[in-house]
Amino acid sequence: MRVLLVEDDRMIGEAVQAALLDAAYAVDWVRDGQMAIDACEIHHYDIVLLDLGLPKKDGLQVLHIVRARNDAVPVLVITARDAVESRIQGLDLGADDYVLKPFEMAELLARMRAVVRRKGGVAGPLLCNGTLSLDVAAKAVSVDGRTLPLSGREFALLHALMIRPGAILSRSELEDRMYGWGSEVESNAVEFIIHSLRKKLGNDAIKNVRGLGWLVPKHH
Amino acid sequence: MAGPQAPLRQSLEFRLSASVSALLLGVAMVAGLFSFVTAFEEANELQDDTLRQIGALIDRNHLPVGNAATGLPDLDSDPESRVVVQMLPNAGGEAARSSATPLLLSADLPDGLQTVIVGSESWRLFVTTLAADTRFVVGQQTAVRDEIARDGALRSLMPFIILIPILLLVLRDVIRRMLKPLNRLATDLDGRREQDLGTLSATGLPTEIRPFVAAINRLFSRVEQSVSQQRRFVADASHELRSPLTALSLQAERLADTEMSSVAGDRVASLRQGIRRARLLLDQLLTLTRVQEPSAMAASPVSLQQIFRQVLEDLHPQAAAKSIDIGVTSEQDANILLAETDLMTVVRNLVDNAIKYTPAGGRIDLSVGVEDEGVVVQVSDNGPGIAPSERALVFEPFHRVLGNDEAGSGLGLAIVKAITDRCAASVALDYTDVAESRGLRVTVTFSGSRRNAGTIAQR
Repeated sequence: MRVLLVEDDRMIGEAVQAALLDAAYAVDWVRDGQMAIDACEIHHYDIVLLDLGLPKKDGLQVLHIVRARNDAVPVLVITARDAVESRIQGLDLGADDYVLKPFEMAELLARMRAVVRRKGGVAGPLLCNGTLSLDVAAKAVSVDGRTLPLSGREFALLHALMIRPGAILSRSELEDRMYGWGSEVESNAVEFIIHSLRKKLGNDAIKNVRGLGWLVPKHH
Repeated sequence: MAGPQAPLRQSLEFRLSASVSALLLGVAMVAGLFSFVTAFEEANELQDDTLRQIGALIDRNHLPVGNAATGLPDLDSDPESRVVVQMLPNAGGEAARSSATPLLLSADLPDGLQTVIVGSESWRLFVTTLAADTRFVVGQQTAVRDEIARDGALRSLMPFIILIPILLLVLRDVIRRMLKPLNRLATDLDGRREQDLGTLSATGLPTEIRPFVAAINRLFSRVEQSVSQQRRFVADASHELRSPLTALSLQAERLADTEMSSVAGDRVASLRQGIRRARLLLDQLLTLTRVQEPSAMAASPVSLQQIFRQVLEDLHPQAAAKSIDIGVTSEQDANILLAETDLMTVVRNLVDNAIKYTPAGGRIDLSVGVEDEGVVVQVSDNGPGIAPSERALVFEPFHRVLGNDEAGSGLGLAIVKAITDRCAASVALDYTDVAESRGLRVTVTFSGSRRNAGTIAQR
């Protein structure tokens, strides 16, 4: 995968470039806004990492110009500005996501993967949270190298939770996902299915947050 | 205005009232005295005239006075109106006291008006000589005359006696009303939050006060400038620190990925821990400067249950790492009219704090309730709690509870306080278990917030 890194700070640029090379990305590093615009015109990139505070052309201007050319390249904004302000401006102008300085490389790489995957259109057939991986097509879950089959309801519930690991879903949200329109909701069904999932996957696979609902933990 | 302990003497209202009242009373007393004396003399003169007229009446009409018992009819029923008319004894003779001559008078009284002591009483007499060389006298008792005169004079004092107290009351009211704009100004100033440096309105204020208000407004704008300069400096400095810190953090991360001995690995790990802490501090500093500025974000009704969920999604991993049982105990939801980031920051900082100070295996409860005074959000833990004497201090930036080695920024509660101050909410600290003096319970009350009925779906 080819990455365009737009970063004027030499120390950060070097560190990110080295880390990206370590992660087997091909990296082009430019240090001002104009060069970033030119680079986007000449080459096709799989993702652009765009710092906002740039000489010659501001990062937001770069984004504006690139998007005005109908270039749909995924753009991940890296910013030292205030989170709220950057989110509104950057996402309005067509950034796909943003990372706040100071960031950790692991976080940046995870966001890059997510953006590329989202832009690719289809969510992968495998949903992972670091310990579990759910095979959507086969309706089976893998844990510790073992692959276990799931019942229809177990799959529906786990699938709902695995779409966004770490997100809390309430009982009614889980029931919505497990039952179609008009079908009778059995009481305690959610607890019952979670109990059986925990028996298969271990007690910590699904966590309860008192008063709010359940989640599958997110592991890096 | 003046503080409660300032002496009454310094109150403008008191001084004005006192001096104008004293002046008024003085003038009233002088005027009263003058009018009393004049009225008194006037009444005496009038009565002298009466005596003179009676004398003239007798003289002109040759009414019989005689030595005999033909005095004026006895009108003893009203001694005040008694006028005595009697003949004077001939020169040298001493008339005996009789019913016709009630007064023992010497014959050598000169003609005209005079005051004579007869017996033990003082009399006012008018002596006239008739043509026939007989003399008679018209007399009236001085005590009676004085009493009539005094009554008249006192009556002339009545308006003063009635009007002065009324005048004083009205005066006090007028002064109070004139000073009202000043009081209002003081209340307005007193009720302001420290971020509110907007100009004071001078409308309705007396011309004399306006220069002061203008001066205060100018001071406000200078203070505002310097405060925002300082805040901008902190914000800029934090921003500037971000880039080198990012570079440092990335290099340390790369270093950790290289192969090294376990001793070196441990050192890199603690290096990264330190960098993480600096990062957190920087984030909190920026948040603090942001929330100290007047809010630029639009307020919209935000569901607390949603905020709880987002915060717990973020912080659940930290709680899980310490095996802390964290959850929401209320089934109610409420909306608060506030910028979402602000409300999120408040709840997040409180929960983050609770996770830090609660021992492993502890418990943290979040709840929201709608009470008379507004929407009440509580975060309770079963950690050590904060002693009452410490409670005011923990809201100070960089204050840290002694003997705690948690790597906090020391800004969490200061940020909470800044946000709640800005949106007219209040924060109170208490023990979760008051009897045992353990656990921290933070109660944030959003007064006047919109209540929102509706129970959320069960768990």
